[in-house]
Amino acid sequence: MKKKILTLVFSCFIITLYSQNKTIISDLDGLTLNIGETFTPNTYVSNSDGLKSNCSNIIYYNKKGVFTSANSISVDVENGSIKANEPGTHEVVAICIGEGGKRHSRTFEVFVNYPKIKKVTLKLDDNSVYVGNYIPLIYEITDELDVIRTIDYWSSDIGSKYFSKISFSLKALNDKINIDNSNNILAVKDGVSTIEADFDGIKGNINVNVLKNPTSKIELVSNNENSKTGDVIQFEAIAYDKKGKVIENLPIEFSFTGKSFDKSNTASGLILQDGRFVGDVAGKYIVSARVGNISTSKVVNIFKRNVKREMNTVGTGLVNDKHTSDFWVFEGVDGNDYAVTGTWGADGTSYFWDVTEPSNIKKIDSVQVDARTVNDVKVSSDGKICVISREGASNRKNGIIIIDVSNPYDVNIISEYTKNLTGGVHNVFIYENHVYALSNGERYYIINIEDPKNPYEVGMFEIEKEGQSIHDVWIENGIAYSSNWKDGVYLVDVGNGIVGGSPSNPVAFGNYSYDSGAHHATYPFQSKSTGKFYTVLGDEIFPKGVNSKGPSETAGFIHFVDFTDLNDPKEVARYEIPSHGSHNYWIEDDILYVAMYTGGVRVVDISGDLLGDLYKQGREIGYILPSSPDGYIPNDTMVWGAQLYKGHVFYSDFNTGIGAAKVAPVKPDNSKTNQHILD
Amino acid sequence: MRFLLVIIFFYSQIQAQNYYVYVAAESDDTVSLIKFNETEAKEVERFEVGYLPTEIEGPHGITVDPNGEFWYLSLAHGNPFGKLIKYSTKNNEPLDQTTLGLFPASMQISSVTGLLYCVNFNLHGNMKPSSVSVVDPETMAEIKRIKTGTMPHGSRISYDGLKQYSVSMMSSELYEIDAITLKVSRKLNLSNKMNMGKSMNDKMEMKMSEMNHSTIKPTWVIPHPSKNIAFIACNGSNEIIEVDLENWKISNRISTGKGPYNVEISPDGKYLVATLKNEGSTAIWDLENMILLSKIKNTTSVSHGIAISSDSKYAFVSVEGIGGEPGVVDVISLKRLEKISSVNVGKQAGGIAFWKMEN
Repeated sequence: MKKKILTLVFSCFIITLYSQNKTIISDLDGLTLNIGETFTPNTYVSNSDGLKSNCSNIIYYNKKGVFTSANSISVDVENGSIKANEPGTHEVVAICIGEGGKRHSRTFEVFVNYPKIKKVTLKLDDNSVYVGNYIPLIYEITDELDVIRTIDYWSSDIGSKYFSKISFSLKALNDKINIDNSNNILAVKDGVSTIEADFDGIKGNINVNVLKNPTSKIELVSNNENSKTGDVIQFEAIAYDKKGKVIENLPIEFSFTGKSFDKSNTASGLILQDGRFVGDVAGKYIVSARVGNISTSKVVNIFKRNVKREMNTVGTGLVNDKHTSDFWVFEGVDGNDYAVTGTWGADGTSYFWDVTEPSNIKKIDSVQVDARTVNDVKVSSDGKICVISREGASNRKNGIIIIDVSNPYDVNIISEYTKNLTGGVHNVFIYENHVYALSNGERYYIINIEDPKNPYEVGMFEIEKEGQSIHDVWIENGIAYSSNWKDGVYLVDVGNGIVGGSPSNPVAFGNYSYDSGAHHATYPFQSKSTGKFYTVLGDEIFPKGVNSKGPSETAGFIHFVDFTDLNDPKEVARYEIPSHGSHNYWIEDDILYVAMYTGGVRVVDISGDLLGDLYKQGREIGYILPSSPDGYIPNDTMVWGAQLYKGHVFYSDFNTGIGAAKVAPVKPDNSKTNQHILD
Repeated sequence: MRFLLVIIFFYSQIQAQNYYVYVAAESDDTVSLIKFNETEAKEVERFEVGYLPTEIEGPHGITVDPNGEFWYLSLAHGNPFGKLIKYSTKNNEPLDQTTLGLFPASMQISSVTGLLYCVNFNLHGNMKPSSVSVVDPETMAEIKRIKTGTMPHGSRISYDGLKQYSVSMMSSELYEIDAITLKVSRKLNLSNKMNMGKSMNDKMEMKMSEMNHSTIKPTWVIPHPSKNIAFIACNGSNEIIEVDLENWKISNRISTGKGPYNVEISPDGKYLVATLKNEGSTAIWDLENMILLSKIKNTTSVSHGIAISSDSKYAFVSVEGIGGEPGVVDVISLKRLEKISSVNVGKQAGGIAFWKMEN
């Protein structure tokens, strides 16, 4: 009997245990708020029997976290209330800490109403609307909180974010304007018309005077009719009236069609509204210019650029017991040629090489410092001083080491400098007796090394923004090009004088950033063929992070930014190869020598006006993939940097050390390919 | 007799436990899993961590959650902020990550709130107050960033899970955070200068903080498992400070060797273990009587972190090493007061965390 009672009691206990499944109940569930509204939730824990227990403590938070720019819904952790800041659906997490320290949590979706629209204003940038033109309307929407959002002809992201869930209609009040199902507005007859937009019942309108197209004919001229892929052709459209008089200031629309000479390919190109056209692929293209209902066309033939040349490795200096980082090739004081390489994740060694004969690269000396990574190495222009950077020092002081390389066969450490550089120096540059040394990835310090035994700090540059981050700096003509990840490139006067800067007073005067935020390096480029000035900006991206089981994927490309107008930089071209990302590079005589990590060393023709996709345009002259079965990671190409030096393309590779390649004047040898190559 | 000895030996082997710890190598961007069978320590696995294969990201702090299912790693370096990454102990694969502040370092999870508290050390940044990031490991969302002193380090949770402690290396302060309200509940000046009251405004506090450039340089704090006291390693003044947590005052100062860095207490409350960074050794005290029991030379230089097994038998000590030499984990028997075994790991071994013991 006793046994039966015990069994019964035990079973009841087990059943009770199983019915203890608990969940958080809160009036956050299905909550809808208006923007600006604050709400204090009521939250408790309930088990499956409906038994309620209060939480000793509740913590609420926005699932997007603290470090977010959205701030869509903010949580006052102290008083347990939430505030709606942005419309949309947001996730709020409630953590209930019950008695005995039991923790339960649950995520709730909180919906914040889109603000009601108060006023709609329609605008046009240019009132010259002609019959046959599309009308680029601008919508200025004011909501009930007096926030104004503008949707223009090109940007639809604001519209889709804020106004996609409300009713919208567009109509013309007479037949002088046609509006299609996608709300594109076309002027079809001359005369006055009114366009009316309705956003959720709030109307706005604009009167449009559609002008009779004065154009009787258009003449389309170009500076070239037969060109090569990648060459920019400048078209000019001249509009004439009935009397043959030239009409100025008409909105001309350029477009093109084309057909590739190669039936396995498709025509491809780019045309800008200033009349510049570039063909990416060889073929016949018809370029058109239109003013309203009057148009004309011209045919251009685009032929292959044919710049491909043979490129071969001529010599290597193998380092396969540790990773190799950056390198620098220089002329020594004796007139011979030398190089220095750093190492990565190793023992703080830097190697010195005699590269006078690129086919016979010889390791001649080395230094070892307290570091695990010597990420960057540079040599002064007189070939006497070498500076190497330190990261991972045992005493966590890092900084830089200054080395006498007057005799590269017997180098000597002169001094160490660590002030303000304890966080690790990722990159350095030497310019006119000053070292520009990055500090902790946030800023750089400028150090005078006129007396290399006694270096001292003279200046510092940072962009003074929350979350500032810098990866590299490069100086040319007294301008420091500072590569600042998401904040892009900063042009800083450190002695050029353009804005009165100096090493002790660096002054920023130009900036360009781009959406990916992966800006890693900069090379200033004054085109010899066109005189245009570019900053060539390189990404560094690892889309899948570290692959511990094999080669890591790389991505990112080279951006060409036309900085001819310092106040209006424009990104005009890119060099990107599929599946391989960019790293360090060198430009000389309108040729780009770029380390594309897993894509090897690439040599690219960047002469002429630059526009569009340079890789697609066949501007690549040659490439090598310098992996080695004897490499640190066998058969794994991972090129770090490239430098043209006295006709040879030197490079460093993460897994194989230093090498030299040569671009031959002949076309590639196709004898081993299994393709039917015609030329 | 010989037969008996053989039987005893084999019996002890059968009864031997296996202990597992994780250790981060800050200059290698790797983490190692170490197994110790009470005789020999071996590296079971070493894996790369981080997101940038050609940048040293500096894995620094490491912790295992109370259930042993996940481990967490702080990456000190970023553009510019560091990260916290969550891994599975089943296969050591990364599961999720979040961005924290500048140089996130040591951390621990409260068994009550389930939240992770990580200091943003900002070791190489400007001398200004930094913070403790509070992360919900379930969603890997940083839910609050709590301002503390300059260069906070040594994040440790009280055994009841209700308080988080850290020390600010360059402003000589002990911070206590309420793990539930996520607010600083108390602050103690360890330099015996004027104690900063809560009534000071932020500007005055920052000024005092800047002036108070620490000679003490506290680097770690560990609360006692059962008593209301805590011990703080003071790297600059070569001492361990004992703090009476009830009365919130310094109750004792214990001279150590050069450069105490991390300090831990065995779960049974008997031993205080501290790494002496500048000497390359580990010191062990009888905590009841406050007697130094032994000072053991580590295998190489720059002694760093300590993890003590849950049965209080062994201390696992990470030793950074110099230059290109490997980091090391030394296993010390707390009963025998001697080093039992050592194993090489990645360069600059630092953050270390005990995972589990099993037969």
